[in-house]
Amino acid sequence: MSRILVVEDDPHILRLISMWLQRQGHVVLEARNGLAARDLVRAEPVDILVSDINMPGMDGLALIESVMGEGCVRRGVVVLTNRWDHAEIRDRLAEWGVQVLPKPFSPSRLSELVESLAASRKAGSVAVRPISSERGPCS
Amino acid sequence: MSAQGAAITDDLLLHDLVGGLSMAGRGGAAGGAPVEPLSVGVVGSVAHAPQPPAHCLTSCLAGDVTAIGSRGCAFLISAARNQADATHPGVGGRRSSLANCTKGFRVAAQVTSIGGQAATVLTVEGPLSAGVPREGEAPAEPGAADLLGRLDDAARLVQRIGQMLEENAGFANEILQNYEQLNLIFDLTQQIANVTDVREIEKLLMQRVARLLASETVSVVGTDGRCRTYSSKPADQRSGRPAASFNPADLAQAVDFVRRTRHVRVAGAGGRQIIAAPLVRLDDKVEVVVADRSPARGAFSAGDMMLIESVLAFGGQIISNTELHERMHRMLLEVTRALVAAIDKKDHYTSGHSERGGFLTRLTAKELGVPPAQQQFMEWAGLLHDVGKIGIPEEILCKPGKLTPDEWEVVKQHPRMGYEILQPIASLGVILDGVLYHHESPDGSGYPEGLAGDEIPLVARIVHVVDIFDALTSTRSYRKAFSIERALEIIRAGKGTRVDADVAEAFFRAFDAYRRDHPEDFAARFYALPETECSHVHS
Repeated sequence: MSRILVVEDDPHILRLISMWLQRQGHVVLEARNGLAARDLVRAEPVDILVSDINMPGMDGLALIESVMGEGCVRRGVVVLTNRWDHAEIRDRLAEWGVQVLPKPFSPSRLSELVESLAASRKAGSVAVRPISSERGPCS
Repeated sequence: MSAQGAAITDDLLLHDLVGGLSMAGRGGAAGGAPVEPLSVGVVGSVAHAPQPPAHCLTSCLAGDVTAIGSRGCAFLISAARNQADATHPGVGGRRSSLANCTKGFRVAAQVTSIGGQAATVLTVEGPLSAGVPREGEAPAEPGAADLLGRLDDAARLVQRIGQMLEENAGFANEILQNYEQLNLIFDLTQQIANVTDVREIEKLLMQRVARLLASETVSVVGTDGRCRTYSSKPADQRSGRPAASFNPADLAQAVDFVRRTRHVRVAGAGGRQIIAAPLVRLDDKVEVVVADRSPARGAFSAGDMMLIESVLAFGGQIISNTELHERMHRMLLEVTRALVAAIDKKDHYTSGHSERGGFLTRLTAKELGVPPAQQQFMEWAGLLHDVGKIGIPEEILCKPGKLTPDEWEVVKQHPRMGYEILQPIASLGVILDGVLYHHESPDGSGYPEGLAGDEIPLVARIVHVVDIFDALTSTRSYRKAFSIERALEIIRAGKGTRVDADVAEAFFRAFDAYRRDHPEDFAARFYALPETECSHVHS
């Protein structure tokens, strides 16, 4: 069981993702934009971040950059994004070891990615390379 | 189930519920101060949690109290139906009961269900306006006359919300399943775009089906009853027989049903189930896809049946189209070869000339960076370039010795004749250019139109070089074949005048690479050139 923060501005999609991950036995927190998500993980780190990219206020890329450097996400990030942005976002995030799924997301693919991230810590590997070496509130 | 998730759901629920109870209470209590429920508790969560006086708590609620609010009574958190019944003997089913709190607070309990779980709704009533009664102070008497009626309203509301939650979960399931299908279709489309082999497409499809249905193996039962069995793990492929875990009687019955009705069937009551669905292939052949899964994974649902049906309908369409495409391609090739064989018969060339023409044209086109689809057309141009010879009288084509100028003029008609033969086949396009212009030279000295330089289509320039090479390396009635090296030299000497320089260079590179990298193929094609009985050089 992992503690997962789902960030998505569309409330229906947000509920759907939460519901799916809860059904897999995870503890799920929800946020509707990047800023709310950042505050949440700064208050208490999560294992996995599942985030949309296009969101009002702070978008997914800014969120990831901000929280990963701070060590607020312990195991890794899965990004869900539009099918037409998918390739570009995937390439941009590949270097950071972030997996990107196109929307509408495949529930089984999402579970697989989440499970592999959850397992990665047990194996002692680092799923996510911090983007910056600055020590943030979670380090 | 996560605590966080439950809280999210129940917060929404309780927000509505408290609102609903307030509405229900607004009718006013008979003869007393208006009362409102202070708090409502549902199994697993808390909303609007006022702090109750401790004595109230203990006297009202003997159950497992895990949350204490700030005003009024608290409520049960983890009461299951039985416990609630025990606490409030009158409560059960649709009945509700009241319990008097020592300080005048009243608690009513209603057992209901939310989202399929037993839930106890506790309505704690106190004089809101009067605030929390202090120790020793007499509490205002709540107007409790219609509390039972309000409680019924509350219970109905809770039930309605429970139904809505269940419906929501149902919709969510359906959406998730649709997402999965949509992704499968996107993935398959993408993967299959790069795969032209029907077996490979089938393998990809079945592996995905196995994963979606949480099956370890999936078998495709052919029309002849033979099976092709695929595993969700790509490394573990078997074939020829169905998965060992299938019950033979269930399998036979399900396969028969699906063949007859073309509908999905789940068979095998109790123990290990199988699901069978139609895969309709080309010519309306119905094959049956059968999958099972371990009983631990649960029975196949209506959703699983819909999933396999839609995925196989889509996959079957792709497979049929690919098969149709392959069949058409094969047919076209066979017709082309038949045509080529007809020319070669007439010319007494062996089919070697046309075959080599096609092969070398493709090799050179590839070297020049021509896109693969165009390479295919150019290969056909190489194969068919001499088709017009079919219209040249045999006595000229096979005349031993030198041709007269008039006879030569007749031979020179063959590119145009070939063009005219093939021209009705509109889709041949680039092939026609190759046939009509394969005797044109860059310096304008060729025929039939005397085109020069870039006026000559690329395909014709390639076929021209290839044709000269093959003619030079073949034995004719009036001369022996030149050696390959000598033929290459002759072409090199004609660069820029007789043959296009860039094309000739590409031909040399492609030819050398082929000779170096595939010595055996090369020897078979170019060292075993059969003697030809006749034919005049026409390059």
